[in-house]
Amino acid sequence: MKRNGLRALGLMTCAVVFVSLIGLAVDVSSIVANELIEEISKAAGLVLVNDYIADYTAEELEALAATGRTPGIRLAADRALFVINGREMELFEMEDDALLALAEAGDQDAANMWWFHNRASYKRPELVEEYLLTVEVETLEIAAGKHLGGFYVPGSPLGAKTEAELVELAKNGESLGLRVAAATALTAIWIGDQPLTIDQTRSEILSVTLVYPELALAYQGYLTYLFSL
Amino acid sequence: MKKALLLAGLLAVYALAGLAQGYDAMPADALVFPIGVAGTVYEDMELGVRGGTLNVANIEDPRGWNNHTAHETSTTWFTNRMHRGLLNLDHISGAVVIDFAKAYEISDDGLEITFHLREGINWSDGMPITADDVLFTYNDIIMNEDVDCNARDGLILPDGTFPVFEKVDDYTVKVIMSTIYRPVLNSLSNNLMPKHVLAQYVHKLNPDVPVGTFNETWTLDTPLTELVGNGPYLVTDYQVNVSVTMERNPYYYGYDPAGTQLPYYDKIVTTIVSNQDVSMLKFRNGEVDVYGIRPEDIPVLLPEAAGKNYSVMITDLAVYGTTWILVNQDIGLPDATNDEKRELYRNVEFREALAHLLDKDTMVQNVLNGLGGPQWTGVSLPSPFYAGRDVYGGPITENDAITFEYDPALAASKLDALGVVDADGDGWRDLPSGDPLTITINANDNTIRIAYCLIIQDDFRAAGLNANFQVVDFNTLVGDLFASTGDIILLGLTGGDEPNSGKNVYTSCGSLHAYRYSACDDPDEVDLRIDELMNLGANTFDLDDAFAYYKEYQQLLAHQLGYIYLCQPTFLYAHYDFVGNAFKASPTSTPAGNNGLLTELCFDKRL
Repeated sequence: MKRNGLRALGLMTCAVVFVSLIGLAVDVSSIVANELIEEISKAAGLVLVNDYIADYTAEELEALAATGRTPGIRLAADRALFVINGREMELFEMEDDALLALAEAGDQDAANMWWFHNRASYKRPELVEEYLLTVEVETLEIAAGKHLGGFYVPGSPLGAKTEAELVELAKNGESLGLRVAAATALTAIWIGDQPLTIDQTRSEILSVTLVYPELALAYQGYLTYLFSL
Repeated sequence: MKKALLLAGLLAVYALAGLAQGYDAMPADALVFPIGVAGTVYEDMELGVRGGTLNVANIEDPRGWNNHTAHETSTTWFTNRMHRGLLNLDHISGAVVIDFAKAYEISDDGLEITFHLREGINWSDGMPITADDVLFTYNDIIMNEDVDCNARDGLILPDGTFPVFEKVDDYTVKVIMSTIYRPVLNSLSNNLMPKHVLAQYVHKLNPDVPVGTFNETWTLDTPLTELVGNGPYLVTDYQVNVSVTMERNPYYYGYDPAGTQLPYYDKIVTTIVSNQDVSMLKFRNGEVDVYGIRPEDIPVLLPEAAGKNYSVMITDLAVYGTTWILVNQDIGLPDATNDEKRELYRNVEFREALAHLLDKDTMVQNVLNGLGGPQWTGVSLPSPFYAGRDVYGGPITENDAITFEYDPALAASKLDALGVVDADGDGWRDLPSGDPLTITINANDNTIRIAYCLIIQDDFRAAGLNANFQVVDFNTLVGDLFASTGDIILLGLTGGDEPNSGKNVYTSCGSLHAYRYSACDDPDEVDLRIDELMNLGANTFDLDDAFAYYKEYQQLLAHQLGYIYLCQPTFLYAHYDFVGNAFKASPTSTPAGNNGLLTELCFDKRL
């Protein structure tokens, strides 16, 4: 009897774990399908990229990326296409001029790859900061900002900033690139420290999304991580 | 009967494929790595579990599978995992330790080393490994002039002779030397080869095959099932330009203290990539599990590391090698000019003044982007003989290290004391006679060296020394170095674990004793003591004694300021957190490093 009781308890526990796992998956899909706040929708969408790769054909993904109902759906489909099309290696093998042309036309992935190719010329944070003073292409500015964020992360041998400094920079940095840099570093800090729950992070996004979009971007990165757990 | 023959045939194929089932139980003579054992350098490592695949990337395809005719790391990367030698480097400390030899003894006169081999250990095809394989490896391959083998040079003793290898019995080998020479131990780590498989390809043993046949053995055309090794892995699949798969050798003799046979990973899949950037992309995408990072990779990897569950190791361990300036103490000697400058350069007080003008902190921050440290000795910092480490007789205290801190005021006072002052009021210090002193600093076209030189030039000038930096072609620079025609030269040297390998640099008659070649004919007391210490360090098998000799040698080198050392970059690495024990990666060994040592101790924590 005692043994059966334990077995029943074990089964119940398994069922609860199973339901909660299913529940989490449903939650993220539901958020992607229904969430109106862009950052929250995108955070959920990024978690579903691998599911989209498994569940949809390239044609379906093309359609979702173009006309998906929410930002999260469109982002998930876009990132899934990026993977299945081997776009990363395609960009990697391009010459810098071609990447710059694409970046100028609004291709963020091309801008990121141009920066990846050229990062050795920007080994110090002040070199990237100088670059940000002159860059006129938004995609390149964002890519440079992401790279700069890598210097701002605590533990970086050069340029590390405190969380308070980064929050201030993400809110009021003089350029988009600086604000993106701060957001990139903040996301990394929060993933390490995990200071907020999912609900708290969603609340923070709601409070800053219209005022401080790059700070909201930082929370979006952190929320993506929380959704992925 | 037919079925029995078929079964026998299948079993033969099974064995040929290197997939024999292995030992029934842990062999009595297994090599046990003290993973997790307190008081050892392995104590903070975890016992692992077997299974899984380690995914790594490598640039360039292998060019064959023959360890002893390979001249490139793209081949030895694999052969070093297929074979092991009598001795090896300790996987963590880098010290020379036993491997296939379970013990060795050195005769009282230091001229004979007797190796006791592990008994009951098999090659990957199930055949026993015996003394015959050791003698075959050394007498018939490495020391065979017909074989195109790099390892031969490492066995040459100081008097030009080779050690003699003799079989005592099936599991005992004696190595007889004409002179005591401890560094030969490094060469006794050469990978062993199976005589029963390869003797047929050696002309010396099989005159039916032409001379040089062994050089064409175990090429990329060789069926992989014919490869036989005693190391932790065997190559089981190769797709040109795509990947190499290695699988565990069921007869490998390495075990952990819990009795688990190593390696832990069942497979290593090595993806062939075109360059290191592709490796990095694959690492970020989770396609490879470990990655040797460069300074410029850090801003890319650091922000995403926590989210992707990988670690970026930014260590304070310097990599092998040295970077230095030398003040040519023989300047003008070949053409009987610059007598006063030469006299000044030979004055150690002057070189001390220059050493106090080397702002190594700024070099580390501005040139190495914070990823480096100052160096004060000619021995590579990862070497177990580096005086600051505690592998042998160390560590030494900071008081033992001979350093010259950046101190322009002290440098100025030393220069003043030498009479190197601005005699004519032109703003530059002059020679004691009042003649102008101009200093030329040369380096080759290397970004880091140029940056160092510019910092040095600025500090020399700020101290009133009329220093001018010029980039010169590398061959010209080396020519100046050998001809003693340079002034101050900034260059670097590769380094290794054994200080005696720097004998050609630091002994007074060394071919690269470039700061004062004339020391060969006119050595001073320090030169003579360095020569003596270098020999004493090599001529003892007592590692603590050797350490003590090399410690004094390093201190004298630092005092002598022949080569004045600058800074070395630190070791960087990245690995996914699920790769157990990867955190022990060091300049000595990494999970995907060329010597393959740490690989066998890593495991998949997700299993």
